Amino acid sequence: MYRYDDIDRTFLTERVAEFREQTRRFLAGELSEDEFRPLRLRNGLYIQTHAPMLRVAIPYGLLSSRQLRMLAHIARHYDRGYGHFSTRQNIQYNWPKLAEVPDILADLASVEMHAIQTSGNCIRNVTSDHLAGVSADELEDPRPWCEIIRQWSTLHPEFYYLPRKFKIAVTGAPTDRAASEVHDIGLHIVRDASGAAGFEVLVGGGLGRMPMIGKRIRAFLPQLELLAYLEAILRVYNRHGRRDNIHRARIKVLVKSLGALEFTRQVESEYAASRATAQRLELAEVERMRAFFAPPAYRNVPDTVPSAGAGAAYLAWHRHNTRAHKVQGYRVVFISLKKHGEAPGDMTDAQMDALAGLADRYSFGQVRVTHDQNLVLADVAQDTLPALHAALVPLGLATPNIGTLTDMICCPGLDFCSLANAGSIAIAKQIHEQFDDFDYLYDLGEIQVKMSGCMNACGHHHVGHIGILGVDKHGEEWYQITLGGSASGQVALGEVIGPSVAKARVATTLARILEVYVEQRESGEESFLQAVRRLGVEPFKERVYAPDTAAA
Amino acid sequence: MRQILRQRELTSDSWRYPDEAGSGAQALPFATIVAAAAALPAGSGVVIGPTCDVRLLAPCVGRLALIVVHFEKNGDGRGFSQAQVLRQQLDYRRELRASGAIKRDHIFLLARCGFDAFDLDPAEDAQAALAELGRFSVAYQQSSGTLVRPRLRG
Repeated sequence: MYRYDDIDRTFLTERVAEFREQTRRFLAGELSEDEFRPLRLRNGLYIQTHAPMLRVAIPYGLLSSRQLRMLAHIARHYDRGYGHFSTRQNIQYNWPKLAEVPDILADLASVEMHAIQTSGNCIRNVTSDHLAGVSADELEDPRPWCEIIRQWSTLHPEFYYLPRKFKIAVTGAPTDRAASEVHDIGLHIVRDASGAAGFEVLVGGGLGRMPMIGKRIRAFLPQLELLAYLEAILRVYNRHGRRDNIHRARIKVLVKSLGALEFTRQVESEYAASRATAQRLELAEVERMRAFFAPPAYRNVPDTVPSAGAGAAYLAWHRHNTRAHKVQGYRVVFISLKKHGEAPGDMTDAQMDALAGLADRYSFGQVRVTHDQNLVLADVAQDTLPALHAALVPLGLATPNIGTLTDMICCPGLDFCSLANAGSIAIAKQIHEQFDDFDYLYDLGEIQVKMSGCMNACGHHHVGHIGILGVDKHGEEWYQITLGGSASGQVALGEVIGPSVAKARVATTLARILEVYVEQRESGEESFLQAVRRLGVEPFKERVYAPDTAAA
Repeated sequence: MRQILRQRELTSDSWRYPDEAGSGAQALPFATIVAAAAALPAGSGVVIGPTCDVRLLAPCVGRLALIVVHFEKNGDGRGFSQAQVLRQQLDYRRELRASGAIKRDHIFLLARCGFDAFDLDPAEDAQAALAELGRFSVAYQQSSGTLVRPRLRG
């Protein structure tokens, strides 16, 4: 993984000093709340329902075991013993004290981490494929490009005060595991007819109040042109994005109002005008970055299948929580943070410390965060899988539900967030209780449930196969259900099935929807998403709102 | 008289803004300058707002001695792009001044974008602002500023 050099270390030390001084001025009354807000936001600090919330950047979701131990230390020492992994591969702490945040940032800096630009109207943490470097379908590892973008976007002098937040995702495989089409910019590594690598560039995707799928503005951008082209996109946005209405300020609104063709024309025109003076990217720098992400020293291990006598728990875990690896003899292991009784994405300090140890022992000392709020040990030799499983079980980190209904994405909701209408964590619990039969979950197959506590869509509900959105009706929590959304492959936004349902009925509503699927699926092969696409929402809607059930 | 932080010195301003009476050279509004671009006298000054397209100054940029970019509110980033275009693409070399809602916390990045003079918010402490020009000794991006020269990699 990337390691800091003198430039990075010096920068981060100076940045922590700057924020320490800004915090001091605020606490001394020298800065008003309005003046301090943009400064603290660009250091990851929100003021939430109970206390400040600190969002720490995990660049493209990659952590060393040493960094994970530091995250555990911060949870223990400055917070209440846990952290929440977010849909943007970051971690959030819900209970830090404002006066201690500069110390937290200094601790993070000691392990080459920070909270810079994890909030505020600026370029946010760049996200990527959690299987980068280990999936067989990959054209090229996207992480060197992510690191190039991370550095370029860090305190970019021109793009630090954008109309609104700005999110970039990069993928290097045809299967999109980074929800790149619902980002402000999605970059896909592709090859042209001559075999040269470049980027397909999508702009204007996003969720929130106005969900949109990104528009392709470049089919092929030569790789070394990346920063010059990003600069052109950002400059057009910085100049013309709306600043009069926060709900119309994302780049997707500009793309929509100009039309994709005109927007593309403006970007290409800016690119032509600025290319000569734009940030240059040298091949040597790209090669320097690539070297940081060279494959680890894999052992020569044969491929094996688990023996039938391995025990039902191990077999279920192996089947559902591990995936193919491009190197013979290895598997990718998912660590489910969706255990019944726990808030999705939450992890305790003790679990973090223990997992850091397991990463050192079984996966070259690295851990990844997925955008659906699980963790990954990406490089586990198959002959060590039983030992790893045995170690994960007592930690509560072996719930064999990856890809199933209960592996849901969930925002912090009312319990923590000042924007939320709905307690998404309580709904997650209700769903876990309704669907506690693993055989039924496995029979249902892959289903992505995504839940947001409000229109801002941190839980990506628009692209859930089943989306759940909390809405406020006269002070009560109600839930709107959408079906058929998808963040990868044939990207689609879900369709609302009808009036929102009462809080007590969310899980039973899901149960009715799934009854329809089980009754109407074609063979055992048709997935829930395929069935929704074939049937449309009508049959589901009929069952959910049938008169005999509506009164329940 | 207005004090300007110019090239790291606190100096009295010799310019008048478009709405100001008195003696001394007067900077003119953007529209006036663009309309007169072909016959603009050397040493002219202009004040521009956040929506002005600075590329319209291309025909007369060599005859401008002052460009004031006015920031109406804290957090409006458009002036940063205007400065980059003026310095990088139009090759403007004379005084580039940021005015309006300018606080010490903006100074470093403004200087990186090519601003070399600051008409600070009246509530801001000029010495504290000056100190912020030394906030970062390193940076990740090439940029057009000459007032601050952070060390880059490579």
